[in-house]
Amino acid sequence: MSNTDSVTIAPQSVRLFFQSFFKTLVYFFILVLVLAGAYKAFPLVVDALFLIVIAAILTAVFNPLVDRLESSGLRRIYGTLLMFGGIFGMVALGVIKGIPTLLNEVSRIKDVIQENSATESLNSVMGDINSRIAEYIPGFQLDLDLITSLSSQFFGQLGSVLAGALDTLATIIFILIITMFFLVDGKRMTKQLIGMVPNRYFEMSLNITYKTKRQLTNFLRGQLLAALGVAIQSFIGLSLLNWIFDTNISGVLLISTIAGMANMIPFVGPFMGMVPAIIVSLFNNLGDPVAASHFYFILHIIGMFLIVQMIDNNIISPIVVSGSMEMHPLTVILLILVGSQIGVLGMFLAVPAWGISKVVIQEVYQGLKGHHLI
Amino acid sequence: MKEKANISYPLFESFKDKLKPKRSQAQMALSQVNVFSRLSWQEIKIVENAVHIRNYAPGEPVFKQGDPGSGMYIIIEGSVGIFLDIPQQAPKQLSKLSDGDFFGEIALLDESPRTAAATAIENSTIIGFYRPDLMDILKTKPALGGKILLALSEVLAVRLRSTNGELVKVSRKLESVLESGANE
Repeated sequence: MSNTDSVTIAPQSVRLFFQSFFKTLVYFFILVLVLAGAYKAFPLVVDALFLIVIAAILTAVFNPLVDRLESSGLRRIYGTLLMFGGIFGMVALGVIKGIPTLLNEVSRIKDVIQENSATESLNSVMGDINSRIAEYIPGFQLDLDLITSLSSQFFGQLGSVLAGALDTLATIIFILIITMFFLVDGKRMTKQLIGMVPNRYFEMSLNITYKTKRQLTNFLRGQLLAALGVAIQSFIGLSLLNWIFDTNISGVLLISTIAGMANMIPFVGPFMGMVPAIIVSLFNNLGDPVAASHFYFILHIIGMFLIVQMIDNNIISPIVVSGSMEMHPLTVILLILVGSQIGVLGMFLAVPAWGISKVVIQEVYQGLKGHHLI
Repeated sequence: MKEKANISYPLFESFKDKLKPKRSQAQMALSQVNVFSRLSWQEIKIVENAVHIRNYAPGEPVFKQGDPGSGMYIIIEGSVGIFLDIPQQAPKQLSKLSDGDFFGEIALLDESPRTAAATAIENSTIIGFYRPDLMDILKTKPALGGKILLALSEVLAVRLRSTNGELVKVSRKLESVLESGANE
């Protein structure tokens, strides 16, 4: 009996083996095809995803404004169009007027830095600065080559970013169009996406989405308002310095914009905003005995930025920025180090990007915990 | 008195039928819930666009006891059981709700944990109206949101009054029991 069984079972098991082997082979082949396709399409997917993420962030920023217009009785589509009319107008104005001016300013500062990097006057200025520093910190020396190369690199990269903005105008318009669709139809899209979630996780997903969206909107709006506040204050402060002390700081608009953006980075940001103003003042006033006697207005600039920081920290930020940016100094330093691998822009964006991720992670964790899923 | 002649005009009737606005099942279900009963059809349509229509299989939980409350449910079709989980015992069925019934409306205002579980007894189609949906209506259509909130507070006021009545009854009963105990 057992012999006959073994005789009859053997071919069956062989067939089963070949069947499963063939199946595995087919699955493997499909997997390889899918992976190859994904690898080939990866850059396209990443590009599309990047545009969508930027559009989603812009939607989070503009959504409250469109909601406000809708609540006043205007239909959502008209509210969005009205707002975008304004934005397109500003972008057009920025492209026609602002960016070429900023580009000229950046390339001028870069040229001044490169021209003066090897001159005697700069060497004597650095010697003067180093001797004054040595009075307080014995043995400390600022490396001239390092400073000129860093400054030149910074303004060079900034110039390429601005020039890139002109080149990728089509991308900007594309992002704005996606944002427009998100603003008009975003709620329906979100509803349809959440509608796909199984019943078990539905309530939780809805809550997480809502809370994350709310936190993100508050966070981004707060950050942008605080940045705008610092930029306006810096603009006023630098203009006042030019007017009262004749500090000869050029590119006030550009420096104020950098100071505003840098303010999004806690601890390090305020100093990052201060540095371009000091560099510009130093290079613009080389050889001027009045400026030299005022230590190239470095203390004036530091004082002005300290006042801006005091106003921002004590008045503006407590009102507009939510507490979600509270970070340990070590985290900030590590993030800036990681961001610096991508460049200056990476250093700017690393902390805000982490702030956004932190908000999302916190909400997802709270949601999962509340529904006893973790 | 002259009796009115009962004459029908088929063409007119068919026009009347065609002109009659078509109401969806969800709109009809929403209009029956006291939270939305005072809204115009146009407003109910806005609410319909905000709500979520979900299908549940028999035995599938709508929510579990202890889950954070996030909204109310209105049954369009089917039936849902409300169960109380008792430790080391089978869940106790408190009630069975069917077409047009609604539950969980307090969760629209408060995120406190659900005090009981809701489970579909048969294949059910249920409307879910959640706090984010209400918040969104309050933001974009404040007048409509105000009407819904007012109706919700009326529901709460009625419940509070009824709870107060029950409390008075219980405390009187307790007093009389204590008095009789003291007399004895």
